[in-house]
Amino acid sequence: MHRFHEPVREDFLKAEAPKWLLVLNAALALTYFLVLAFLFPIGNWLLFSLLIFGEVFHIWQVLTFIFTIWDVKDPVLPLGGEDLGVDVFITVAGEPLAIVEKTVTTALLMRYPDFKVHILNDGLIAAKEQWREIRTMAKRLGVHCITRVTRGGAKAGNINNALSLSKKPLVAILDADHMPHADFLAKTAPYFREQRVGFVQTPQFYKNHADNYITSSSWEQQEIFFGPICRGKNRLNAVTMCGTNMLIRREALLSVGGMCRDSIAEDFVTGLLMHARGYKSVYVPEVLAEGLATEDLSTYSKQQFRWARGALDVIFRWNPLFMGGLSWAQKIQYLSSASFYLSGVIVLIDALLPVIYFYTGLLPVRVSGMFLTAVFLPYFFSTLYTIVRASNFTFTFPSLCFSMGSFTVHLRALYAAMTFSKSDFGITEKMRQNGNFFPLVAVHICYVALVALGLECAFLREGLSASLINNTAWALLNIGVFMPFIYAALPEKKVPQESEATAVRIETYALP
Amino acid sequence: MRSLEQTVKLVPPQARISQRISDWLAIGACMAFPIAVSLFFLLNQSLRLDESQSLWQTSRGFMDILSTVATDVHVPLYHFLLHVWRLFVGDTVPFDRMLSLVLFVSSIPVFYVLGVRAYDRDTAFFATFLFSISPFMNWYANEIRMYTLFTLLVIINQYFFLRLFRERPQSDHAWAGYALSALFGIYSHYFFFLNLGAQIIFYAIYRKLFAQGSLARFAFCASLVIAAFAPWVLFVIHIGQFGFQQPLLGKPSFVDFFNAFGQFIFGFHDDAINTFILSLWPLLVLLGLFSLRRSAGTKPETVFFLIVVACSAGIAFVASILVSPIFVSRYLIFLLPSLYLILANLFSLYPPGMRAIVQTSAICLVLLSLGAEIWSSATPVKENYREAATYLNAHVTPQDSVIVSAPFTIYPIQYYYKGSVPLATIPQWNQYAYGPIPAFNAAELAQQVNSITAGSQNVYVVLSYDQGYEKALKDYFESHYQLLDSENFSNDLSVYAYRLRYNTPLSAIPFTAATKH
Repeated sequence: MHRFHEPVREDFLKAEAPKWLLVLNAALALTYFLVLAFLFPIGNWLLFSLLIFGEVFHIWQVLTFIFTIWDVKDPVLPLGGEDLGVDVFITVAGEPLAIVEKTVTTALLMRYPDFKVHILNDGLIAAKEQWREIRTMAKRLGVHCITRVTRGGAKAGNINNALSLSKKPLVAILDADHMPHADFLAKTAPYFREQRVGFVQTPQFYKNHADNYITSSSWEQQEIFFGPICRGKNRLNAVTMCGTNMLIRREALLSVGGMCRDSIAEDFVTGLLMHARGYKSVYVPEVLAEGLATEDLSTYSKQQFRWARGALDVIFRWNPLFMGGLSWAQKIQYLSSASFYLSGVIVLIDALLPVIYFYTGLLPVRVSGMFLTAVFLPYFFSTLYTIVRASNFTFTFPSLCFSMGSFTVHLRALYAAMTFSKSDFGITEKMRQNGNFFPLVAVHICYVALVALGLECAFLREGLSASLINNTAWALLNIGVFMPFIYAALPEKKVPQESEATAVRIETYALP
Repeated sequence: MRSLEQTVKLVPPQARISQRISDWLAIGACMAFPIAVSLFFLLNQSLRLDESQSLWQTSRGFMDILSTVATDVHVPLYHFLLHVWRLFVGDTVPFDRMLSLVLFVSSIPVFYVLGVRAYDRDTAFFATFLFSISPFMNWYANEIRMYTLFTLLVIINQYFFLRLFRERPQSDHAWAGYALSALFGIYSHYFFFLNLGAQIIFYAIYRKLFAQGSLARFAFCASLVIAAFAPWVLFVIHIGQFGFQQPLLGKPSFVDFFNAFGQFIFGFHDDAINTFILSLWPLLVLLGLFSLRRSAGTKPETVFFLIVVACSAGIAFVASILVSPIFVSRYLIFLLPSLYLILANLFSLYPPGMRAIVQTSAICLVLLSLGAEIWSSATPVKENYREAATYLNAHVTPQDSVIVSAPFTIYPIQYYYKGSVPLATIPQWNQYAYGPIPAFNAAELAQQVNSITAGSQNVYVVLSYDQGYEKALKDYFESHYQLLDSENFSNDLSVYAYRLRYNTPLSAIPFTAATKH
């Protein structure tokens, strides 16, 4: 496999944004909001309310991001002390045998004095035909295989079942495709020497990130989360439990009733409940396990739906604002992470405002002159630069586009969360799916068509006015951001060829 | 992108030589472009107000040049050069403009070298090409003013500054080049100090990356600059009065702020096109987003150019609001090279396909803008005093009067005017006497008009550069006299003919109302 976008593996874990930049960003954000909200005559009240709602959300996201990354306190690996025993759970539900076997054999090679690997074989429950091969493979490798026979709870149920059949004080959880490094346990278990540590989380690195456009884009989305955000959450004792590549204290897990079975994002909620119980979390900013990113848009969308639905459930069912036992910093962190998936609404509002203008001539505010531009552009570019600096220049245009382009998925998840409808825990496919993915971007394509038609309406109504030109520019901005997502729906993407010089430069990076 | 040094190491010697030759041929083509634009389109335009003042100021001895330039709130290096230039090339408007053209064309290869120093060959090429086709630069390459000299000296000074930033060890030649370019630069335009100020800010941020001993050497250069400039400051203070020959500048708005940047890229256009350009500002957001790529970070050189642009424009804008209006796009012409390098670097971060599309689009848009600037009669900076004077030459008789307002616009008119009737101004002003132009006084208007037009049959009123009283003036003539003719020669430049007396034979009237209205 020829890698074109091979990052230095720990790049995203290294940076810090300088405090002067964070203060400047916050000040510019607030200035922009106040100017927009109070200094211009209001056009249409409904549109103005929607615009302000959107900007409140943006300001919330900016300020909580700044709060999160304000300072970084990376954990220091404790030395000395007793090595606690670890039950290593590898959750399997229909993943390809070869992938599972690789993960198991890699896990067996971990250097740690006391651990036992268990395959949590949910293939029978999930009606996956290869559950027998999994059992055979486990026997061949000398690994304990727990084949669940009682339905319920999806992955959470699978883990809880295994908890009752194991007994070591610590539990490591790995997805079927996440292969741990040899020092995974050595660099995570010692943190549990502090009694109140409930779980230790490490990054979810995708070793196939360079395979195609979707794997690279989805990895790039992860970098900012597992980089500056998780390091910041570590400082605030609010690390998000991510479901794999983590170590949990059994006693802590059992104190909250095991993995939460009532949520599609069982990991996120379980972490919340453990924090509410007073347990501490640790984030180890080092790649200690490597998994596989989704390789097609359909699988990516399903994964996004599951994460969005699970996170939004937190707002509607386990709202941290009203949950006892959490510090204010933790409440803000969970709300901030969960509310990120409300961005689907905001993207929709921002995209529709120019379209509404094209067809109706209605505007949220009547802006004359360039004063709003003079406060918006510094705010926007300072926010962008803050994110870029905080992520050590790993934040990319495709990752932004995938976040925003997923707004349709987030909207579906929001609807499902608000109506408390049941959503299936769909296993993320590990192999690329083939098919027609255009239905996933139908809304985006319709948007382009709406803009094109709307332009004509507006031009006939008022000619080439300044408002028309300005709203056209906003619409083109939205289309430009949606294009990579639409592009991802096209059949088979390869990572674009870089110039020879860049390829030579990348090849010289040393791989561990 | 590979830097020039890396390219050199990887490319075999013969290929290196042919690459160098092709590079310089391309630079030569960039230099030829503005020469062609000037020769075919811009050199032969009517003299403009500012140019006429340059000619007037440099038509005298060195000491007189010093005092008139000092009162004009400028510095004298360009004027000395122009004075000498005129001695050698003669005294026609196209040849006088050629000095600015020579300076602009000379700055093109220097700009390329700056671009290579800051970034790499590809980025430098694109920036240089944009620079050579820039409507803004091409306009001022055909104006008898100091702006291309100013730009050239800033580019040279920035080149040496960046050399000092990166060179180890720093060479004495670089220090000498830096000091000399600064010494000449401060006498090219007052805003050169903004360029130096940006360097101070950059040094404060990146001082640890400069070679040891840099601070002492920079301090020495600063003391040389102060010592060289102090006599001029004392002389200006001694002279006492400033700016009485310039149009009044109003306080800038944010529209003016962004208009300046629109002009830097797209040149001068009428309000409708400017509005179109500025309304597209959300696309800047998209251009910024396209540059989000995995990278090694922001180069210090980019930070330097950003400081130059942002701080200089910001300081000029704030000073204009709080102190005195000085925010004029031509004064900020020195930002243009930095701005183009920032854009070129930004585009270099895009994926290859997108980069090609954006660069090609940028070139096409700039060329289109240049074409519009050249051919559109609505281009606001075009001032057709030549045709206005030609009109006067054709119509004014010895029985007539000619009034020019605003008074300082007498310079370009009198350059082309060949009539026997002397030009008068309202407010009445003796351009040869020391002192400011008198302020307009509505109460004295009638008396001034009567004193100028006494005994005349008709009066021709040339109005341009409205200083706030043009309407009052026009209303007075409209309400007291019969309008015989009106002609508009360019944006905001019109001539109105009024009849003063009715006891003249018909044959003496050059035209009748029937032919005009």
